[in-house]
Amino acid sequence: MNIVACIKQVPDVPNIRIDQERMTVIREGVESIINPLDWVALEIAMDLRAKEGGRVTVLTMGPPQSEEALREAFAVGADDAILLSDPALAGADTLATSHALARGISKLNPFPDLILCGMHSIDSDTGHVGPQIAEELDLPQVCGVTEIHREDEFLMVKRFADGFLDTLRVSMPALLAVGQGPLPLSHLDLGALETAFSKKNIVRWSLADLALERHEVGFSGSATQVWRLRPPPLKKEGELVTGSPQTLVEHFIRKLEALTLLDEEDGNE
Amino acid sequence: METNSRMGKVWIFGDYRNYFQNRVTLQLIAKGKELAKKLHSEVTVLVLGDQVHQYAMEYVAHGADNVMVGEHADLEEYQVERYTSLVARWVEAFKPEIFLAGATFFGREFFPRLAKRLNTGLSADCVALEIDPGSGLLLQTTPSFGGELLADVVTPNRRPQMATVHPGIFQELPHDSEACGKIIYPDVDLLPEERVKLVRSRRQQVRPFHLEEASVVIAGGRGLGSREQFAMLFELADLLEGEVGGTRPVIRAGWAEEERLIGQTGKSVKPKLLISVGTSGALQYTSGIQGAESIIAINRDANAPIFRIADLGLVGDAGAILPLLIQALRKRI
Repeated sequence: MNIVACIKQVPDVPNIRIDQERMTVIREGVESIINPLDWVALEIAMDLRAKEGGRVTVLTMGPPQSEEALREAFAVGADDAILLSDPALAGADTLATSHALARGISKLNPFPDLILCGMHSIDSDTGHVGPQIAEELDLPQVCGVTEIHREDEFLMVKRFADGFLDTLRVSMPALLAVGQGPLPLSHLDLGALETAFSKKNIVRWSLADLALERHEVGFSGSATQVWRLRPPPLKKEGELVTGSPQTLVEHFIRKLEALTLLDEEDGNE
Repeated sequence: METNSRMGKVWIFGDYRNYFQNRVTLQLIAKGKELAKKLHSEVTVLVLGDQVHQYAMEYVAHGADNVMVGEHADLEEYQVERYTSLVARWVEAFKPEIFLAGATFFGREFFPRLAKRLNTGLSADCVALEIDPGSGLLLQTTPSFGGELLADVVTPNRRPQMATVHPGIFQELPHDSEACGKIIYPDVDLLPEERVKLVRSRRQQVRPFHLEEASVVIAGGRGLGSREQFAMLFELADLLEGEVGGTRPVIRAGWAEEERLIGQTGKSVKPKLLISVGTSGALQYTSGIQGAESIIAINRDANAPIFRIADLGLVGDAGAILPLLIQALRKRI
């Protein structure tokens, strides 16, 4: 099976700070990591390769430093890596991003049997890119996948959606967007780390390599624009209470009553 | 199909699965009416399925001016590609200005594909929607960076302006059996679709821990100190009919299973009440609790970030508080 795993390098969101004046994210000093659900996708790709044979190609779109993410993928055994990088690709919304990635995938020969990606990213969290790549490449899609196995020419997948545990049969080629996996994230063997930097080559494609026009990608190719960023409104004034455990418990109980999770105690009891 | 501008400028995808716990469509009808009024227009709800007239009626009773029903046996199951093909054709025929869907799981996997088919902009899981008086554009407010920032997004040039909306943000209008609305049944022309076949769908009713749907969630963090202290949360959960979740450190320590993980790589919960015990409030965790209506937090450290988002913050040692709390609740319940 030939698999493409789409990954995204994101800031380590738990550790970012916001410049409150300029309403921007302060990136300096914040580590860049592979989006956690993309790691899960990579893990699943490796697992499938072990069972079915074939190759795993990792693909990412980003500035030159995204190469680090591809090196990490090599370290866990990816066979090939492709970086789509060009100043014109910057500022893209999900429509423009999916267009560039879909174009990159369509250049692969042979065309992959399966495209895997994380269901959403920790920075923009839209969950759009997977379905939009699938639409552009006219592929069936399933999102939130947690288990995959091959049965003849189909993929059998499981996912949990809106209170239903679904089992679906998917024709290949297909795109599957991965949800939280059953396996812990630190499952991958980083043994190949040394070879990651010496042996394997990253293929770099620019706008020209992708035969894309400027107006199709990046900021120009985007349908949405961020009008402004602002901090979330402070939650209604929270009450902070200190005191003895007994006092704290009393406050707790009163809150439960206010939320009607407890019937109010009759004052005469 | 002919372009019919009487079909309303504000469209809403009628997501009726799990009705009537899932009320997001009703919420969007209410908000949609407000938006439509500013555009001097109406709200139209789209319903696809088999034998779905009851939902059409329900939507009219809750304020829909029009309902377009795609009625066909093959539409019984929610299916992304099939729905995309049909809805795209209707959008191209009637050209709405705005198209909204609830950010249910299905909404979030269907709408991006539809937006791509229509080559238009889509914002995800919005927490606010307004018409900008100057430009007439729909301002779509969506959380980013785990909720650390809100982004106001616009789709300036393409149409429709599409958005999925977080459930529970808007208030539905009360049921009005006297309400009037137009229900139409356009022709449904389906292409065969066998590339994704639903083999089995099991309702997860009595799932061991149904965190995402629980109305009371009790989440524990490393501050609890030990597996035994963490275990007290289960007692509390029993008393309050809630579910127990945990942060990544707690899962790593083996105090709780992976399925109980709340946060960025775990579950997102939207309970009526979240009780957060011994959690500092790291973004990796709090991004999973954005949807909680009320939060009570217990932590030893008065400066813990969790207190910034808690409605009630109790500064103290969980080890001392929990036993007293459990005792007090046992007397009351």
